[in-house]
Amino acid sequence: MLRPAGLWRLLWRPLAPGVPAENLGRREVASGVSLPGGTSPRSLNIFDRDLKRKQKNWAARQPEPMKFDYLREEVGSRIADRVYDIARDFSLALDLGCGRGYIAQHLNKDLSDLVLHHIHYVLKPDGVFIGAMFGGDTLYELRCSLQLAETEREGGFSPHVSPFTAINDLGHLLGRAGFNTLTVDTDEIQVNYPGMFELMEDLQGMGESNCSWNRKALLHRDTMLAAAAVYREMYRNEDGSVPATYQIYYMIGWKYHDSQARPAERGSATVSFGELGKINNLMSQRKKSQ
Amino acid sequence: MSANRAVWGRVRSRLRAFPEHLAACGPEAAAYGRCVQASTAPGGRLSKDLCAREFEALRSCFAAAAKKTPKGGC
Repeated sequence: MLRPAGLWRLLWRPLAPGVPAENLGRREVASGVSLPGGTSPRSLNIFDRDLKRKQKNWAARQPEPMKFDYLREEVGSRIADRVYDIARDFSLALDLGCGRGYIAQHLNKDLSDLVLHHIHYVLKPDGVFIGAMFGGDTLYELRCSLQLAETEREGGFSPHVSPFTAINDLGHLLGRAGFNTLTVDTDEIQVNYPGMFELMEDLQGMGESNCSWNRKALLHRDTMLAAAAVYREMYRNEDGSVPATYQIYYMIGWKYHDSQARPAERGSATVSFGELGKINNLMSQRKKSQ
Repeated sequence: MSANRAVWGRVRSRLRAFPEHLAACGPEAAAYGRCVQASTAPGGRLSKDLCAREFEALRSCFAAAAKKTPKGGC
């Protein structure tokens, strides 16, 4: 059903304050696209989605949810940059997982085949999908500190930071979902915190606490103390703050259309890569001959 | 329900003072951190309680700092 130009906001608007607690677990996703609530037999069930929903709802109910928006705001504006970079006009856009409207995808690390297939299905030919998600290096400082501290204190460790999609897998996932002309590029945002504990508070405030199934239920106080000490010693900045890295993958995929550029036929090359060093000469030669 | 909330409230207020107590133990924390970091060098191996001595110093300093500053009301 087509509407005149406009930006549709769908899905995952956080609850307004004052919603009775009993309704929280049963909030419906109000959208025309029915994302698979359960899991398909093919996709990996890595995350406890109910828990993630509860974490997001809890975060939205806290007194100052906007306080933790800084990361989403930043990623949202970087995505908008990429939208503007595309030299095309689009009459209709769908903002998936817009939350308060950061134009960021839901920063959902569990990117299953089905979600991408749905997105591809919904697009018109020559439509484009622009998304962003956390990359593998995200929070590596936190991950390492916890791992080291837990090993020294408890003799082993379990994951406390969710698994992230690897950049190669991302290309494959997009290709398998039918997208054409993929680009994936990566960006790092470093945020400085007074200490590890404040970082974890912020992650909780963003609703981004660990919700993978194999998370450990408790983080012992001793281990937390040890990890904070390790984090500070290994990673601190000159001014005494500690950095946390958020690596963002931006992906752009197009839905096939005849007008789109296609890779050239095999064997049709007229210059070789070995001549790349002489590219200036080659280009001026071509201009002369035209 | 409200009993849980009281316990959770106490836990959170204790956790909130965490950075403050840790700040009072800079040298001990640094010593422990250096010990752990040293084990990550090539040829090093991190095993349980490798830095137990440094951690004990950190833990007692931390406990002492926690005793000094009274926790917020229950």
